[in-house]
Amino acid sequence: MSEKLENYLEEISRYLGTGKEKQEILTEIKSHIMEKAEQEYGEMTESSLAKVIDSYGSPRRVAEKYMDDQQIIAPAFKGHLLRYTALLFFVHLALAVVALIFKTQLLILPFFYIPEMDNFQALFYFPMIFIYDLGLVGIILYFVTQSGKNIRLPWPRFKLNWQKMADSQQKKPKVFLFMLMLMGYLAFVYVYVRYSTLFFKSLNPGGVEALFSPEASRWYSLALLSILGAGIFAYLVKFFIRSEWVNLLRSAAQLVILGIVINRPIENAIREFIYFDIHLVADLIIALIALILAIDFMKSLIILGIKAFKKKVSCPID
Amino acid sequence: MTYRVSYSIYILHGIYQPKTEEVVRMTIDISPFETEMNRGFLQVLVLVLLETDMYGYSMVKQLEEKGYGLEENTLYPLLRRLEKKGLIKGKWDIREDRPRKFYVITKMGRDVRAQLLKIGQRQNEILNRLLKENQNV
Repeated sequence: MSEKLENYLEEISRYLGTGKEKQEILTEIKSHIMEKAEQEYGEMTESSLAKVIDSYGSPRRVAEKYMDDQQIIAPAFKGHLLRYTALLFFVHLALAVVALIFKTQLLILPFFYIPEMDNFQALFYFPMIFIYDLGLVGIILYFVTQSGKNIRLPWPRFKLNWQKMADSQQKKPKVFLFMLMLMGYLAFVYVYVRYSTLFFKSLNPGGVEALFSPEASRWYSLALLSILGAGIFAYLVKFFIRSEWVNLLRSAAQLVILGIVINRPIENAIREFIYFDIHLVADLIIALIALILAIDFMKSLIILGIKAFKKKVSCPID
Repeated sequence: MTYRVSYSIYILHGIYQPKTEEVVRMTIDISPFETEMNRGFLQVLVLVLLETDMYGYSMVKQLEEKGYGLEENTLYPLLRRLEKKGLIKGKWDIREDRPRKFYVITKMGRDVRAQLLKIGQRQNEILNRLLKENQNV
């Protein structure tokens, strides 16, 4: 057989995949090309075969015509693919941020494993999360499509109105609210300057007792003041720049501060507490703060994403 | 395509002033619409043609003689689909040095063909009626 024809059929075969009828399809195409070359050009030569092959079409196009009714993922699931991936990515990324802050690994059966990583590794890991989630959703939709059944997939509606939320973020900051926050913050600063801590075990009139050791007291109090300070500073910046980027940077800064606090080991930081396991409570509180900050961070990212998308397509988004 | 693009450039530069119908003819590529329209038509055509045993290449030639040129790579997948649905039946002939697959219409194919022809006729009637109405407007 001519080398060109052989290569041509081999390439079509590659695109046809692994179907049972592949050999029969190829034989039929081969027979057609050879007959046409002979009938229309007098004899079957390399050049006559080349002409017929060229007119028959590119191997990919030829193979695709046999697959018109075969879909990898039904086009109707495009919306589901995007929506499910977005939801999964949101949860997955928030968990990864929490794992990063706590410098720990997370294993959620059966699919999710978030390794312990440092900040630099996280830069590479976060985009991988998106690719992983897209792939996972893709595989599920592939099986749904291949089942050929009329399965109605759930269509999760985001109860949160991102559009409204994005608009509300742009509201003018209130001077009164800022003053109130500032006064509260100064009160915290005053307490810290006076007692060198913001965390107390008891507030007896005779004398207050700190919850943590002196070193830990200073460390945790300063961290709390920094996190609150970042929030107030961001609010102040909003008087001049009303952009979602301010919120994003604020959440990022707060997450970084929290990460530093958690990852600095302090020996015997918490004094004995007789009523319950204070370590567990402290861990839970920090985890809760980390989760709230991570969600806040994600929210800002999504709002910025929606704005960028809106700019591109200039249509209302629900 | 090249022809169309180069003419568009001349028009843009004001070198060539085409008439309105000419612009329409040059700027709209009707081949995708034609492909869409031919899809169902070719199906009926094949069912009509296969009243006698034929193989792919002979069908292409026959259709060409009747004035209907088609892409060969469209015919074979269509034959395969019709065979799967039981409207035609295929059989390999290996008596000659080159194997050929011959197809012929089945009983079910004839029934379907009759119904499709009726549908086509009705579509034509509706179309003609509407075109007539348009002429009167």
